[in-house]
Amino acid sequence: MAVLTALRPIGKGLAFAVVGFLIGAGAATLLTTITDRPATQPVITLGYLFALIGWVLGVGLWDNWAREWFGLPVKNTEAFGWPRYFRFTTDHKTIGVQYLVTFVVLFLLAGLLSVLMRLELMAPGQTIMGAKDFNTTMSLHGIIMIAVAVATFLGGFANFTIPLLIGAEDVAFPRINALSYWIVPPVAVLLILTPFFGGFDTGWTAYPPLAVVNATGGLLFVLAFLTFGVSSILGGLNFLATIIMLRAPGMTWGRLPIFVWSIFAAALISLTATQFVAYGLLMIILDRVVGTAFFDAARGGKPLLYEHIFWFYSHPAVYIMILPGFGVALEVLTHFSRKPLFAYKYVVGAILAIVALSFIVWAHHLYTSGMPSYLHLPFMITTEIISIPTGVIFLAGLGTIWLGRLWLTTPMLFALAFLFNFVIGGVTGIFLADVPTDINLQDNYFVVAHFHYTIMGGEIFALMAGIYYWFPKITGRMHSEALGKVHFWWMFIAYQVTFIPMFWAGIQGMNRRVADYTPELGGINLFISVASFLLAASFLVMVYNLVRAWVRGPKASDNPWRARTLEWQTSSPPPLENFTRPPVVVGHPYDYGVPGSVHSAAAPAGGAGDKETH
Amino acid sequence: MNRHTFIVAILWVVLTILGEALVAISDLSPLAAAKEAAIVDGAFRVLMVLAVPVVAFVIATLAYSIIRFRIRGEPSQDGPPIRSHGRLIAVWFAVTSGLTVLMVIYPGIIGMNELADLSHEEPDMVVKVEGMRFAWRFTYPEQNVSTFKELVLPVDKHVRFDVTSRDVLHSFWVPAFRMKIDAVPGMVTTVHATPDKTGTFGDDTQLRLQCTELCGLGHSIMTVPVRVVEQSEFEAWVAQQTQTARR
Repeated sequence: MAVLTALRPIGKGLAFAVVGFLIGAGAATLLTTITDRPATQPVITLGYLFALIGWVLGVGLWDNWAREWFGLPVKNTEAFGWPRYFRFTTDHKTIGVQYLVTFVVLFLLAGLLSVLMRLELMAPGQTIMGAKDFNTTMSLHGIIMIAVAVATFLGGFANFTIPLLIGAEDVAFPRINALSYWIVPPVAVLLILTPFFGGFDTGWTAYPPLAVVNATGGLLFVLAFLTFGVSSILGGLNFLATIIMLRAPGMTWGRLPIFVWSIFAAALISLTATQFVAYGLLMIILDRVVGTAFFDAARGGKPLLYEHIFWFYSHPAVYIMILPGFGVALEVLTHFSRKPLFAYKYVVGAILAIVALSFIVWAHHLYTSGMPSYLHLPFMITTEIISIPTGVIFLAGLGTIWLGRLWLTTPMLFALAFLFNFVIGGVTGIFLADVPTDINLQDNYFVVAHFHYTIMGGEIFALMAGIYYWFPKITGRMHSEALGKVHFWWMFIAYQVTFIPMFWAGIQGMNRRVADYTPELGGINLFISVASFLLAASFLVMVYNLVRAWVRGPKASDNPWRARTLEWQTSSPPPLENFTRPPVVVGHPYDYGVPGSVHSAAAPAGGAGDKETH
Repeated sequence: MNRHTFIVAILWVVLTILGEALVAISDLSPLAAAKEAAIVDGAFRVLMVLAVPVVAFVIATLAYSIIRFRIRGEPSQDGPPIRSHGRLIAVWFAVTSGLTVLMVIYPGIIGMNELADLSHEEPDMVVKVEGMRFAWRFTYPEQNVSTFKELVLPVDKHVRFDVTSRDVLHSFWVPAFRMKIDAVPGMVTTVHATPDKTGTFGDDTQLRLQCTELCGLGHSIMTVPVRVVEQSEFEAWVAQQTQTARR
C-alpha cells in the first residue's frame, strides 16, 4: 500500500495524460475531417501535446502550482524518503537525483543499443538485424546519448551541486526546475515507442526531406526532441538566474568555483541556442502534419535551410555538453592536486570566449552540403580559432597537476583521462575543421571516432569523475574506491581500443550510419565490436559498485576528499536547507597551500593540513 | 630550467620524434586515384605532422606528473600555491595562436586554393548525377548516354559532376577521389575530380560511389562501382551503351 500511495502522483499524471490525449486526438480528428489530409499524424501530434500538458498537470503542476493561478490554495505534496523521487518536488537535490538516476539509466540503455549496433557490424552482410532496425537502433543510440550528454550535467549535477557550490538554499525557480524534470519522462516514452511506429531512420539530426517523409516513428522522435528542447531551455534559464541572483554573501564572480562558471556558460547557450532547433523541429512537424513546405523543394522549400538552423543550435550544443565537462575535470584536478586552479581568470575568459565562438562555427558541418563555397573559409577560421581557448583549458589542467600532490582517487583518474582523451578529440577536430581534409572525412568513421573522443572520452569521462566525486555527498555513502579504480582502468583501456581503430576505419573508407560495409573492412569492424563489448561490460562494475554502496555502503564523512568548496562544508547528504548556518564566503575556493586561507567563514574550512574537519 | 621541466622537455622531444617517425613511415591512406586525392592526402599528412607535437606535449606532461607527483594514499600536505608562472600564460597563448594561424594557412587556405585551382579549370567532361532512393543515375550529356550500373570515367580528364537528388538528401562520395558533395533536392551541386589512375571496383573497393548522407533503408547499399579507363576504352563503352540503348 505504501508503494501505491507513493506512486499516486505518477498514476494521476498518467490518468491526466490519457484524458489529454483523448481531447487532443478528438480535436485533431474533427479538424482533419474538414480537410482531406490523413488523420494519423495530426492525431498523434495534438494528442501528444495535450497528453503532455495533462501529464505535467497530473503529476504535480496542478496541485503544487497551477491552483494558485485560480485563487485556490496550493496543496503541498512533498514527501520524504524514497517516495520524494516520484513527486513533483521542488528541492534541487531531489531533482538532481531524479535527473541523474533517469539519465544514468538512459545512458546504460543507449549503451546497450550500441552493443546491438556493434553486433550487427561485427561482420559484413546481415548478422542480427536488417537495415531498418539498424537505422532505428543507431538513431535512438544517437539521440538518447545526446540527451544524456546535455542533461546529466545541466539537469543532474548542476541541480544537485550549483546551489550548494554558491551557498544558496535552492535554485531561483524551484517549480520551473521540477517542471523541466517532469517533461523528460514523456521524451523517454516517445523514443521508446518509436520502433512500434515504423522506427525512424534519420539519425538524431533529422534532416529533411527524409525526416518529413519517413515512418510515423520519425514524428514521435521529432516531438520528443522538441519536448527535450523545452526542458533544456527551462533548465538554462533557471541556472542563469540562480547563479546571477543567489550567490552567498562574498561569493563574487571572481570566487566562483570553475564548475559553476562552466554551468553558467552552458546555461547561456542552452537558453538561447536551443530555441533555434526548436523552430527547425517545429517546421518539420508543420511540414508533416499540416503540409507546409518549408523543406519540400518541389513546392519551393529548401532542405538546406534546415541544416543551417539545426547546426546553429547543435554546434553550440556540443559546448552545452563539453563545457561542464571542462568544469568538472578542472574542479577535480584542482582538489586532488591540492593546488590552486592554474590560470583561473584565463579559464573563465576561455569558457566565455568558447560561448561566443560557438555561435559562429556551425557551418563547418556543411562544407559538403552544397552551401556556397565562399562560406568555407570564414567558418574554417572561426572553428580553428576555438583551439586557442581550448588550449587554455589544457594549460590550466596541466598547470594545476604540475608540482601538485596528486591523490589518485577514482574521480582524479577519470579527470586525468579526460585530458588525454580530449587532446585526441581536439586535434582530430582540426582535421574536420580543415576544408580539404573534411571533404573526404565528412560523414565517415573518422567523424564518429572524433566526436566519441570529445563527447565520450571528454564529457562522459568527466561525468564519471563527477559521479565518483559527488557520490558520497549525494548519497551519504562511500563507494568502493578499489572497484572504482577497476572500473576506471577497464573502461579507459577498452575505450581506447574501441575508438582508436575507428579513425583508421574512416580513413579506409568506412562511412558512418551504415548497417553494412565493403568486406575488406570486416577485420577492423570485428575488432572494434569485440572491444566495444568489453567497454560496455565495464559499466557493470560501476553499477554494482554504486548500487551496493547506496544500499549498504559505509557512511561517508562530510568531506571525504578534504575539498574546500562549499558543498563539502555541510553534511552528506546535505539537509533540506543545505546549510545549517548560511555560509559567508571570504576567500577563493582553490587557495590550497596558502597558509591560513579560508573559503567560507560560517562553515568549517578544509584548509591546508586541516584534518580535524571530517 | 628546473629538473622537472628538463625531463618533460626531453620526454616531449623523444615522443615527438617517435610520433613523427611513425607518421613518416606509415602510409594510412588507401588507394588514391585522382589529382584532388593527392591534395587531400597531402593536407592530411601536414595536419598529422602538426598534431604529433601537440599530443606528445600533453602526454609527456601528463605522464610525468602522474608518475612523479603522485602521493601514495591521502596527501597530508597541500601543494605549492602556484596560480601563474612568469610569462607562461602569454607564451602559451602566443604558441597556440601561432599554431592556429599556421593551420588556417597551411594546409587550410593553401589546400583549398589548390582544390579551387583544379575545379576552376574548364572541365573536359560533365557527368550529371542524380541520387534517388537507393540508386544513382549517371547521364553523360555530350555522349548522350545514361546508366545506373556503373560510373565510367576516362583517365586524366577533368570531370565536373552536376549532382542533384530526386527525393531526399544523399551524398556523392568516391573514396579513391577523396571528393564529396551532397545531393540536394531542388539544387544542383557540383564537385570535380580528375582521375589519374585506371582501375575498377574489382581491383580496389575505394573505386566506388558511396552514398554518405543517411537516406533511409537502403543507405548502406547505395553504392555503385566506379571504373576509370583509357580514353579509347571509354569511347568503346559509350559506343556500346549507345548501341544497347538503340536496340
